[in-house]
Amino acid sequence: MTVLGQLALWLALLLGVWGAVVGYLGGRRGDLALIQSARRTSYALAGILTVAVVALLTALVKNDFNVAYVASYSSRNLPLAYKLSALYGGQSGSLLFWAFVLSLFAAAAQWLTARRYAYLLPYAAAVTSVVTAFFVAVALFAANPFERLDFIPMDGRGLNPQLQNPGMVIHPPMLYLGYISITIPFAFAVAALFTRRLDVGWLHAIRKWTLLSWVFLSVGITLGMWWAYVELGWGGYWAWDPVENASFLPWLTMTAFLHSVMIQEKRGMLKRWNVILVGVSFALSIFGTFITRSGIISSVHSFTQSSVGYFFLAFLISGGLFMAWLTWSRWELLQTEARLESAVSREASFFFNNLLLVGMAFSVLWGTMFPIISELVRGTQVTVGPPFFNQVNIPIGLALLALTGIGPLIAWRRASPQNLQRHFLVPVALAALVALGLVAIRLSDFYAGVALTLAAFVTGTIVQEFVRGTGARHRLHGENYALAFARLVGRNRRRYGGYIVHLGIVTYFVAFTGQAFNQNLEASLKPGESVTMRSAYGDEYTFTHVGVSQYEALNRFVSAASVDVARNGQRVGVLTSEKRQHVDSFGRPSFEPSTEAAIRSTLREDLYVIYAGAVNGTEEAVYRFTINPLVAWVWIGGAILVFGGMITLWPGGGPSERSIQRGMEGYQAKLPAAGVGV
Amino acid sequence: MIELLAGVAVAVAALALVLEPILRRETHWGPPGAGDADDDFTPLDESESPKIRALLALKEIEFDRATGKLSDEDYDQLKAEYARAALVAMDAEQTVKDGATAVADDPAEALIRAARASLRVCSACGPRPEAEATFCSECGRRLTAPAA
Amino acid sequence: MTAPIGRRAFLWSAVGLAPVAVVGAAQDTSVAPLWQPGAVGRPRGAITNYENDPFIIDVERRLRCTCGCNLDIYTCRTTDFTCTYSPQLHREVIGLVEQDKSGEEILAAFVAKYGETALMAPPKQGFNWAGYLLPGIAITIVGVILAWVLLRRARRPATAAAGADVAGLSAEEQARLGAALDRLES
Repeated sequence: MTVLGQLALWLALLLGVWGAVVGYLGGRRGDLALIQSARRTSYALAGILTVAVVALLTALVKNDFNVAYVASYSSRNLPLAYKLSALYGGQSGSLLFWAFVLSLFAAAAQWLTARRYAYLLPYAAAVTSVVTAFFVAVALFAANPFERLDFIPMDGRGLNPQLQNPGMVIHPPMLYLGYISITIPFAFAVAALFTRRLDVGWLHAIRKWTLLSWVFLSVGITLGMWWAYVELGWGGYWAWDPVENASFLPWLTMTAFLHSVMIQEKRGMLKRWNVILVGVSFALSIFGTFITRSGIISSVHSFTQSSVGYFFLAFLISGGLFMAWLTWSRWELLQTEARLESAVSREASFFFNNLLLVGMAFSVLWGTMFPIISELVRGTQVTVGPPFFNQVNIPIGLALLALTGIGPLIAWRRASPQNLQRHFLVPVALAALVALGLVAIRLSDFYAGVALTLAAFVTGTIVQEFVRGTGARHRLHGENYALAFARLVGRNRRRYGGYIVHLGIVTYFVAFTGQAFNQNLEASLKPGESVTMRSAYGDEYTFTHVGVSQYEALNRFVSAASVDVARNGQRVGVLTSEKRQHVDSFGRPSFEPSTEAAIRSTLREDLYVIYAGAVNGTEEAVYRFTINPLVAWVWIGGAILVFGGMITLWPGGGPSERSIQRGMEGYQAKLPAAGVGV
Repeated sequence: MIELLAGVAVAVAALALVLEPILRRETHWGPPGAGDADDDFTPLDESESPKIRALLALKEIEFDRATGKLSDEDYDQLKAEYARAALVAMDAEQTVKDGATAVADDPAEALIRAARASLRVCSACGPRPEAEATFCSECGRRLTAPAA
Repeated sequence: MTAPIGRRAFLWSAVGLAPVAVVGAAQDTSVAPLWQPGAVGRPRGAITNYENDPFIIDVERRLRCTCGCNLDIYTCRTTDFTCTYSPQLHREVIGLVEQDKSGEEILAAFVAKYGETALMAPPKQGFNWAGYLLPGIAITIVGVILAWVLLRRARRPATAAAGADVAGLSAEEQARLGAALDRLES
């Protein structure tokens, strides 16, 4: 199938260039034939890249090891689901996958955008075509997934065992969906700049896209944490690794964008800032891929290993220059419409929220790049690890958390200080209560204490918002409380869905504090021997080594070590951690042995057991036991966040469409009367 | 070999799809977008009409006072401000409407309206080209006069 | 972050116990050999008190493993059990501890041997301060400027801008407004 795939790639490159030219000219001249052609190019690209993806999948499923990619990332004894996930398990395949998903998004954007915003579509098609063409070009010239070997290996190397995990099957696509979908808002921003129609139209056209890509990014990052936690075996989920940071950066700027958009929609302010934020988010999503692929950060010298890095660098620089020029040439059109009415207002609080989010993005970027900067300035390499990032970013994160609580208490346009006091009373009291409680139990970690106190404060404000809003509707409209609550959320989904998202963020912060109270213990145990450790809550856990069993599985040889766990003398159950030696179909070891953690998760804490190895080849086992408080709340926070995102994304909402239409009757009537439309 | 043929077929199909609009150069293509649906009446977004924007702001101010975020003084001030803005926007809209009526006095506009009025509408197939027909030439349903 | 609590006392007990543990493991024949001893990763020695010593763990958390994993020595040696570097570095740390070196001295010894990259976070000196402080300073400066601009711009005579109050609207205007608002349910 590689011939077909290869052909499809070349065709996609051709079409991408065509779409760019036709889209630009069509938009420029208003030539309907060209515009139609650009639109169809988007559909054609989606079709063609589907063909290419199917071609690669076929090669993977059919074990066509003559294809270099298949030989490197698949093997005969790999389960089917992982064979399919090998599509994005390697460099060149993931480039193809990226282009494919982008083309689907671009086609969907052409298909679904309301006709009212049609003036943006030709340019949007041009931008998405260029980006698709770029990824196809990298795949073609630097990392071709359809390259054939000049011999046929008996078997493939197989997928990296750490990628053989259900979390890994869904985590990268989710993150990709997040990264890639940023291209759509970016394309519309560029289109708006080209057409010089910089009112809120383009923001409305991308409203759902922005939210959708933010939700995808959040889910992708959370799944990434989950994967790292269950698969990498160090008992944590976030290590400030450059690759992790790369996914965090666009998330931060997109979060800032989600907030600042509201100011432009409501007040016509921050137009320039919004265009810049979208541009930066897109650049950071490309930068993320660049970091992940070039290996420039973890070691400066591995840069030359892959020419892919150069492509991305060139794309980043030229794209950045282009965007800067485009924004600059439209600078005057991006003037603000309204003036701030008060320094104490929701608008002002959003300014600071944007400052902190973008500041944190800068901080993470700065930290990630600091080894390179240090080498350039001092000629000395330094390591920038978790201690560094924690010191620099925890204070910023906590400030953001505080603002999450303060912002919603302040009214749009203007807030009255004396009323603010009333609003702060309950949440602050709640926070004080929690703080006192923490002091009483002598919580040892300062930042964790601050985080928990702020979490109480923010939760207080959110609950208060719901309660007071319901009460206000009850009084204003005479609705009963249930109806008032339903309408409160239903009629303003963006605000109240957003509050639920905030609740999810608070949950994350609470979960993060648990990291300060991890307990670790290493022990070598003979069968029947046990070891005891105390959790942060004061519970006493006893781990008794049961034994090691060894057996063969589909594509691996497994050594499973089990411990019997008791909490405060009460038996909890057996936890089994595995050492896996993956083998190819001839029984030869294919990778270094990998470790599967045994995890027992409760809302209070996780037990995390790792079988580190055998002592002198006997049943005496070396274990690492970790007690991780509150980890489950990371995943719960993710679920809350997605739930809030869904509420916000759900179609409809706001004042009902009919009521807007009724309000607009005069406006609508004049169109037919003036001979427009119909 | 089959693969090559399949590739060529895909290529031809894609090129045909993309080039057709340019080669045929017909004028019936509307602007792109979800254009096949008759969505000219999709409700405008609130923030695109100054009137709706001001009205919504008024509602929000009312709500903010009810939840206790706005003091009475601030409320009065903001309310006055946005009531003015809403009235100005409503007046402007009225002017546009009056303008549209003025256009309607144009003889050419009158002709167009007369032509439109004579068109018949099928409940299933939409407006029909043949004036003064009784039944739809497409589906046979009884035609109605268009709702002006 | 240094935690030299009772280190010396602990050390003596550790030195006292460690040989017993090692000898015990070597002589033990009561534990059955595995069916495939070669399939469980690298052969391991028994865990001694050094592995769980909070002082050693704290030092190792601040030192980077040289295997290219980007992890600190403690995390690497307790996570990636295929790494040969981290156990070796761990032994180096133990060696220095046995020489009764303090935490700072051990870090200094590693920097001298492996360069500044041996530390998980750059030492707070010279140019590295830029790494720690630049983001915070930038945010603070921009924040102060932002607050200043906001206060200046917003501090306009609010009453004058508002002009008339609601009472200034005529009854007809109020009615029109009310009707428009009613049409727009919320």
